[in-house]
Amino acid sequence: MAGLAGEAVFTARGILRGALRLGPIAIFIIPFGIAYGAAAIEAGMTAAQAIGTSALVFAGASQFAVLDLWDESMALATVVLVVLAVNARHVLLGAALARWLNGIPPVQRYIAATWISDANFADTQKAFEQGERDVAILLGGGLVMWVAWVAGTAFGAMGSANFVDPSRWGVDVLMPAFFAAVVAPGVTGSVVMGAAAVVAAVVAVASLPYLPAGWSVILAALAGGLVGAFARAR
Amino acid sequence: MPDNPWAWLAIAAMGLATLATRISGPVVMRRVRVTPRVEAFLESMSMSVLVALVAGAIASGGLRTGGAVVVAVVVMLALRNAVGAMVSGMALAALWSALIV
Repeated sequence: MAGLAGEAVFTARGILRGALRLGPIAIFIIPFGIAYGAAAIEAGMTAAQAIGTSALVFAGASQFAVLDLWDESMALATVVLVVLAVNARHVLLGAALARWLNGIPPVQRYIAATWISDANFADTQKAFEQGERDVAILLGGGLVMWVAWVAGTAFGAMGSANFVDPSRWGVDVLMPAFFAAVVAPGVTGSVVMGAAAVVAAVVAVASLPYLPAGWSVILAALAGGLVGAFARAR
Repeated sequence: MPDNPWAWLAIAAMGLATLATRISGPVVMRRVRVTPRVEAFLESMSMSVLVALVAGAIASGGLRTGGAVVVAVVVMLALRNAVGAMVSGMALAALWSALIV
């Protein structure tokens, strides 16, 4: 796991491969987008604003969080603080991917980083640890998720109100089920990773009632990271 | 409510703030020397982010989400196929909704 011998590359084929890897997941993102589009209209956004938000922000949890507060009297600083709090975990995702991202030229690096999300992070991180060297799969995976998210939002914002309830088809458990599947082999394969996972889960749940949205994930990630760092010292 | 500048300003601010969170990871790491210990930290942190998201989802989603996660983990360990595991978890949740709620 420590070996980083191979050089990072960035190819057009990699973009396509990344898109194909995350295609099956992106399909299930459409109902979430529909739910967001409908909720945005409900909260007082125009269809163009709802679609514009999904296209420019592309971070579901933070978009829903802002809808809760959406009102012309709301201060811009509040919007920014909510978004930063919910999305601050991207900093950790980008830092974890930096080993590979920083091995490619800056233009490609920052274009790829612009499409970092939980799902393509989970997929790419795993692939890199198994020897993948093409950073473009991060971008390809992000792009296909982005298209599904924006298209879903458009359906929800412009369509009639009777959108599909994601929980009816189990789509609401999509992300937790996918993330759990991705980490399962690593977590069960090493004592250190197992311990880090337990610490992260406990910290995440225990801190949930006391921290603003998003921060418990960050605290848990740092706690889990420290377990790994201390174990390495022995 | 018609299109108004406040809304678009807020949307642009959300977009820029989110972009900043996505770009700053690799930017910050250019200034950090990646020792074996830092590497171990990043490796277990990246796993922990995902574990924390799952734990939070179970905390708010309850037994139904928890059951879906267990199914996904078991299928993954048996078949080593993440998409298959994910679909199995969703199938359990759908069945749960159809039968219980």
